[in-house]
Amino acid sequence: MKSKKLIIVSVIICMALIVALLPLMSACGPTVEKTLMIGMSTPSSGKAAEKGAPMGHGNLDAIKYVNEELGGVAGYQVEVIWLDNGYDASKAATIIKRFMDEDCLFFTTASSAMMTAMMEIANRGDFPGFACFSSPALTHPPRHIYGQTPDYGDDWAAFAKYYVENIWEGPGKPRMALHLLNNPTGYGARDAARALADELGVEIPEGWVMEHSTTTTSEIESLTKFKTEKPDILYISSTPAPTAIIIKNAVELGLYPGMTIACGHASFTKALVDLGGADIVEGVYGVYPTVNWGDDVPAMAKMTEYCNKEHPADYGNMDYIISWAQSLIAVEILRLAVENVGIDKLTPQVVEEQGFKKIKNFDVEGLHGPVSYSPGDNRLSKSVRIFQIRSGKLVPITGWVEAPLIKYEDFDWYGK
Amino acid sequence: MDLPAGTRNYSYAQDMAILRTKTHWALFLGLLIFIFTLPLYLGNYWLGVANLIGITIIAATGLNILTGYCGQLSIGHAGFIAVGAYTSAVLTNRLELPFLVGLICAGLTAGLIGMVFGIPSLRVKGFYLAISTIAAQFIIIWVINHWSSVTGGFVGISVPYASIGALTFKSEGSQFYLIIGLTTLTVFLAKNLARTRVGRAFVAIRDNDLAAQVMGINLFRYKLLAFFIGCFFAGIAGSLLAHWIGFMNAEHFSLTESILYIAIIIVGGLGTATGPIFGVIFIRLLDQILTMWVVPFLEETFTVLPAGFATGIAPMAFGLAILLFLVLEPRGLAHRWQLFKAAYRLWPFSY
Repeated sequence: MKSKKLIIVSVIICMALIVALLPLMSACGPTVEKTLMIGMSTPSSGKAAEKGAPMGHGNLDAIKYVNEELGGVAGYQVEVIWLDNGYDASKAATIIKRFMDEDCLFFTTASSAMMTAMMEIANRGDFPGFACFSSPALTHPPRHIYGQTPDYGDDWAAFAKYYVENIWEGPGKPRMALHLLNNPTGYGARDAARALADELGVEIPEGWVMEHSTTTTSEIESLTKFKTEKPDILYISSTPAPTAIIIKNAVELGLYPGMTIACGHASFTKALVDLGGADIVEGVYGVYPTVNWGDDVPAMAKMTEYCNKEHPADYGNMDYIISWAQSLIAVEILRLAVENVGIDKLTPQVVEEQGFKKIKNFDVEGLHGPVSYSPGDNRLSKSVRIFQIRSGKLVPITGWVEAPLIKYEDFDWYGK
Repeated sequence: MDLPAGTRNYSYAQDMAILRTKTHWALFLGLLIFIFTLPLYLGNYWLGVANLIGITIIAATGLNILTGYCGQLSIGHAGFIAVGAYTSAVLTNRLELPFLVGLICAGLTAGLIGMVFGIPSLRVKGFYLAISTIAAQFIIIWVINHWSSVTGGFVGISVPYASIGALTFKSEGSQFYLIIGLTTLTVFLAKNLARTRVGRAFVAIRDNDLAAQVMGINLFRYKLLAFFIGCFFAGIAGSLLAHWIGFMNAEHFSLTESILYIAIIIVGGLGTATGPIFGVIFIRLLDQILTMWVVPFLEETFTVLPAGFATGIAPMAFGLAILLFLVLEPRGLAHRWQLFKAAYRLWPFSY
């Protein structure tokens, strides 16, 4: 019995000591040089790992390049707390708290879905952040979350504007049909069309908005009605596999060539050509927010060098480019904030005011459209390029085309 | 429950009590003091993890009543949590009703919808029932995504802070007290439910539904009741999740989440009141520790390996842990806890 009591007393004393020493443990430690700490989260495991893993690599490789070759930002090293969110919304909600707890100056995410899980906590804490891939819900209404690239609605708006101004030669308004994936990728384009079609001079007749799923195997039925009605444009906002099927079916029905087909950036990759076949998808237009691998832009040489050295398997992956660009934007935000107020006064709120909101025409070394903050518009880059598939290659046919701002929050139907 | 030698009960009330000795009371009060003082020495991040653990315990307790006690396998639990989350979000955001109304309606709505999807349980069981509850997962998420005039669809819906009267739960610490308070209440209710006539009927149905029916237990009634109670708890958890995160879309309620809940109650111990608590703490902490510490540590330490190599460790460790529990301790951590208590009570004798 004595031993038993001794054990109980020892356990209680140990627990009391642990509890009492916890605050002290965090206070102790060696003095370290000042760094600029930011949080980065990518879905490097889980169901979006094929995109998230290369994006995490791109993020960290770019920061490594900045720290090792450029000496950091204004002489201060950039310290990254990088965490894999596993494409798990609950985990994302705790990750954002870790970033805030660790006194990160701001944070970045790869996907719009994970940013959606984090954004309200960040907004409530006045903690700024930006996502590579954006959706209208993140930036409308504008608060503390920013979008690095235009969203799926912006893709539609940019292409519709380009089409009306540069391709359309017929009388009256061009008539457009929409074929949309039944998720935010498709509905982003739908909402933009709903908001801007009249203003841009595009007609979308009743019943010309169709949906499909990621697992569709044939869209012959949904396209058959167009054999008699003949749209001028078929706009597809989807992923590569369904888009390839829709284009194949349009060819089988004799609809294409004979009308214009255009795609949003989620499907407009090399995979579309591989899945559809170069002959079938020849002449299809597409929208994409970054340059291609091998393009002649200032960032290409260093990015290619790091990619080949650190992650050779990622070469050719467009997601690596967009996340490399994200890190360069993060660095520019830090540079502006340090330059404007000095490192000692930096807080998340100061970085938002003196970094995010001061960024103007930053060209991301040519990787994507210029990055600027405009009051009331939290899209950092508003530009995309229009491409066309020519002989199996994605060929840019324009410079950066700016997508007009859509004030979704002004429409009664938004979010309903 | 076994008692130390020399401890005797002189009434049914004493015999039925959950806490029966002074040591029980002392440990219980010590535990409560420890839990309720956590905000004094934990930062927002760990409080956030504690909040997530609390919410998950409520939902897992519901599933444990349904699956662990009553034997009705459900693989659509995340769908029922979503019902609660959206009910609360819609009532407090669009209709501006008080949080408490949203919370209770969340539980009731999820419970009623759970009953609807529980109707097939009278005809089918085992894998067949599992498939029919998967249907609930898909149907509920489809409705949430497409009933956009109410739910916000793919855009999602904002959810205000939880508040009771003039008290608004804004800080992580205040949310912790709300969540842990409700978690404690839920566990207490579940523990007592298992000791009532209803709880015994659930166990009888689980062990042999034909024998239970012969004994006069109305299978349809009790199975639906199990679905209602299990999904009611899921709805309460959903409501708390919505107000804690502040913004809801269907991404939070994937099929993977539903499967995770099954894993939680297996690891914790099916059909025990403490099982969901152990299971949730183990799974959530394992997840957090792997993601937040182990993976970044490995990435920083083994720089000669390609970056990102450690990201596979978390899902592998997760899978391995579940596998090991199934093989080595199918009765879960709750059984280990019972063994530990028995060994402690009898020490230094082995039996």
